[in-house]
Amino acid sequence: MTGTYATLITVVALLFAAWALISAASNRRPTLLLFGAGVLLEALLLGFAVGGIVQMAGSDRQFARAEFVGYLLGCLAIPPLAFYWARGERSRSGTLVIALGFLIMPVMVLRVQQVWAGSVG
Amino acid sequence: MTEGGTRHTPAPTGQGFGRFLVAIYGIFALAATSRSAVQLATEFDKAPLAYLLSAFAAVVYIVATVSLARGDATSRRLATVAISIELVGVLIVGALSVLSPGVFQHPTVWTGFGSGYGFVPLVLPFVGLWWLRHTR
Repeated sequence: MTGTYATLITVVALLFAAWALISAASNRRPTLLLFGAGVLLEALLLGFAVGGIVQMAGSDRQFARAEFVGYLLGCLAIPPLAFYWARGERSRSGTLVIALGFLIMPVMVLRVQQVWAGSVG
Repeated sequence: MTEGGTRHTPAPTGQGFGRFLVAIYGIFALAATSRSAVQLATEFDKAPLAYLLSAFAAVVYIVATVSLARGDATSRRLATVAISIELVGVLIVGALSVLSPGVFQHPTVWTGFGSGYGFVPLVLPFVGLWWLRHTR
């Protein structure tokens, strides 16, 4: 799986997570700017999913293909779910929910790479 | 989620801190479901007990997530039951996996009191039950 791109997503997600956590620590509700960050990450994830599926189609290696696609789609689902669940919340919890969504992204990307490498049973 | 704040109705379980708690439960629901789906589909024969347990845990997390998010009177009871089962599950499976590691063969979310997940599965039911009391 394209290493540089995956690393980029991981770094961006962690930066956004730090931003959201700081924002939550100072009692702020999610801002439009944070929503923009979510949209940007989602765009990166879309590229990740499309690239991953194209690479998978062009490979005749044996690995858990359904699981691979499942994790890619899971990645794509997380930011919209986080923002959906955070909407309308009056406390900082909404910002925390978004931070969580960003925070689990590196784990998801790692799982995608593990499945791609076939190292997970 | 849509419950009003009148004096005699309990506070909604899916708002404030609950918003965050539901998100954590949601992550575990998602993780446990995807993990057990893969396990059951591809390698069920290897460790049927462990994988059935993973699936059971997944259902418990899904019910807890949805009922905490909804937060009406029925959901509140359902959440209490699900989280109690979760607590008993993590304690029993955790103890069994430490005392006789051979029983489950493959790790589940509750193995070693959730040590594979930073012990969050052990802490979560306590927080969940506290939250249900707190918002009553």
